[in-house]
Amino acid sequence: MIRIFPSLRFTSLLSAAKPLCSYSPAKSSTETNSLSITPKTPLFLRTPSHATSLSEVWKWHDWAKDLASSVEESSTNSEDVLDSVILHRELKWLIEDSIVDDPLVILHRSEIADNGEKNVKLRASLEELYDLWRQRIEKRRPFQYVVGCEYWRDLVLCVEEGVLIPRPETELIVDMVEELVTRDEWFKKGFWADLGTGSGAIAIGIAKVLGSRGRVIATDLSPVAVAVAGKNVQRYGLEGMIEVREGSWFEPLKGLEGKLVGLVSNPPYIPSDDIPGLQAEVGKHEPKLALDGGIDGTDSLLHLCYGASQMLQRGGFFVFETNGEKQSKMIVDYMMSNDLKDCFSDLKIVSDFAGINRFVTGFRL
Amino acid sequence: MLSLIIRRSRSRFINGIKTRTIFSSCSSLSFPDSSSSVLVSRRIFNSTPASSSFGFNSGSSFVSTTRSLNSEAVAVAATCDGLTVERIIANQWPILDENESDWKSHAAAISQSIQVIKRRLQWKKLLVRLKVLSAELNKPDLWNDPIHAGKISREHGSLTGKMKGVMTFERELLEHIDMLKLAKEENDTELESETLKAMMDMRRVSKEKELEALLSAENDPCSCYIEVQAGAGGTESNDWASMVMEMYKTWAQRRKFSVTVVDEAAGEIAGIKRATIKVNGEYSYGYAKAEVGVHRLVRISPFDSGKRRHTSFAAVAVIPILGDGSTRVQINDSDLRIERFRSGGAGGQHANTTDSAVRIIHIPTGITATCQNERSQHMNKASAMAVLQSRLDQLEMARQTAMNAQHTQSLTEISWGNQIRTYVLHPYRMVKDLRTNYEVSDPDSVLEGDLDGFILSFLSSSLDKDDPEH
Repeated sequence: MIRIFPSLRFTSLLSAAKPLCSYSPAKSSTETNSLSITPKTPLFLRTPSHATSLSEVWKWHDWAKDLASSVEESSTNSEDVLDSVILHRELKWLIEDSIVDDPLVILHRSEIADNGEKNVKLRASLEELYDLWRQRIEKRRPFQYVVGCEYWRDLVLCVEEGVLIPRPETELIVDMVEELVTRDEWFKKGFWADLGTGSGAIAIGIAKVLGSRGRVIATDLSPVAVAVAGKNVQRYGLEGMIEVREGSWFEPLKGLEGKLVGLVSNPPYIPSDDIPGLQAEVGKHEPKLALDGGIDGTDSLLHLCYGASQMLQRGGFFVFETNGEKQSKMIVDYMMSNDLKDCFSDLKIVSDFAGINRFVTGFRL
Repeated sequence: MLSLIIRRSRSRFINGIKTRTIFSSCSSLSFPDSSSSVLVSRRIFNSTPASSSFGFNSGSSFVSTTRSLNSEAVAVAATCDGLTVERIIANQWPILDENESDWKSHAAAISQSIQVIKRRLQWKKLLVRLKVLSAELNKPDLWNDPIHAGKISREHGSLTGKMKGVMTFERELLEHIDMLKLAKEENDTELESETLKAMMDMRRVSKEKELEALLSAENDPCSCYIEVQAGAGGTESNDWASMVMEMYKTWAQRRKFSVTVVDEAAGEIAGIKRATIKVNGEYSYGYAKAEVGVHRLVRISPFDSGKRRHTSFAAVAVIPILGDGSTRVQINDSDLRIERFRSGGAGGQHANTTDSAVRIIHIPTGITATCQNERSQHMNKASAMAVLQSRLDQLEMARQTAMNAQHTQSLTEISWGNQIRTYVLHPYRMVKDLRTNYEVSDPDSVLEGDLDGFILSFLSSSLDKDDPEH
């Protein structure tokens, strides 16, 4: 089947090194403004400087629980509702992240009855905790932005507005890489690249499975993402293995053509038309730059396919996350046709735990 | 009453406290300290290869020492006025808190522990066996078959050691009692408080020994998972299941075990349909295994507007988490199917949720495990894998047990007929264990986790079951 792609996209595909897509800024990407950005400190890393009486914290907890329980009745939109079971779990985590003492003093207050006069040390003022929980429920601010971190694999990553919150599905990319490098040591030695790294999740996950000789270059167009990824890399002490570079896709990788042993990416892949209908947490709060994949969602993916043919060395491995089903099939078809014919081998579609054909993987011939 | 003739001839240290040993003339039986001679003879034996023929001399010396032992094996230790451990138990002195310096309470507690330890050792059987072994050892032609002789004398040595351990302990208790009476008669307050202190220490040691005796099965020291499943009956049973789960959570916290919720399926209106917690801590499995079975609740339902009486059921399963040392079932990746637990929708970038629960299915057995309490999918998967591993391990243990044709009740066989305990909140208030008849009239305290009475009575009754003498 022959697919017709917008001509604009084809021109940019032919010059893979050029920044692409309508959202890429006109400015030169070599100028790093990420340096002037200081990432926020997630709740769990803040100084516990707010001594608060237990009874006041219990009052807040009661209020927060009530608010969490009331969401289902008050919702008008039947499609996009908060789940009170999940909210209660998030509330428990919010407490774990805010309190220095044993969170049980709040969760199981009966255990230490009439001890409400005691003070506990919180990492945020009670006022802020009221505000944070209201934001979570009324503004639908993602929980991960509320606490400033996301648990992903065995990592705790700092996240904030402007950076995509890494998804559970994406953890599988690291699993696939881990399986590959355990099977074949060759992949542990060369350069890997994680394009559109966001919080740095995949890059950090991969660096950890590569072992001490691994080298990963993580790129992102967004200065906020570059700053946050840099902070996460630092928190895991991986500065020696991961280099975060600012710029569009392959642009910061000049000079590495044909040298990569691995290439991974979770690029924006949601079709533009679907953006307005997204779940409130995503649509209202997460960066469009990391979500909007153009008309059919494949703008960045196609660019990455072409780039993979240029950047990977023989035998090099790639895995891309996709929108699933139709899209992953389209990417495989694209890689087997036209200019890319005979570039790749072992093209495979791998599904996530929900059974959606989420990933495309393969090797450079 | 006979007067005491006391020779304060030697002092020794018991549990780090200096006490004086009394040799009293009134004691009808004497306890010559023969442990050293046994040790010596065993040492001689051990240095001689059992298969070699020059073991005769040491063998005969062994026989001569055991002959004297044999006569005391049945001796019952008693105080000057004839108090024995059995009589102490028969007296049913109330057992008060450790800190109350009441010697009767200490003596009763220690005696009870000794009794449990004896049951665990199958005491009467052990004495009979010792007699048989001694007779065997006395046979002049024993060493014609050195291998057999070695086996016999090794068993004899080991049983003698166990027996002597208990008897020494018993004797020590009775000596303390004698000493205390003497101190009182002589108004020696220093000696009295010293002896009481020694008894209190002994009480602690005996409690430990008792627990060792109760929890001596192979997997008892393991941590465990406790699972509660609601019976039929919807909200009513779901509520009961969550009450049972809460009972275990608080029980575990009181015992200083750490508790994590691994999996929980909430009921539609209230309570839980099913839940799994991980109880981390030494011997948590040994204790919790006593709870396996169906728990029945009778009460006026808070969910019934007609205020009728309802009966609800909840089944409890307990699975040990085997240590690295034990052989565990090998799981092939290809036998597993891993699913996102509450999937639906486009997923990926479309969805932001903190819910990353997974379900792992072991295809060949159909066994599944779910975890939803961790903050990342990776951790949920690891947690669910650990549950799955333990379930498969347990299945394998059950299979092997069945294969060995030893009839022990498998934990996987919780059928709804296997009722172990009834909790009645109405028309009267009582919790009763149907296996031991142990009962308590305050259901609230039990539901708040005060389960040790039930657990310990079940564990010691299981010892009786092993012992045909009871």
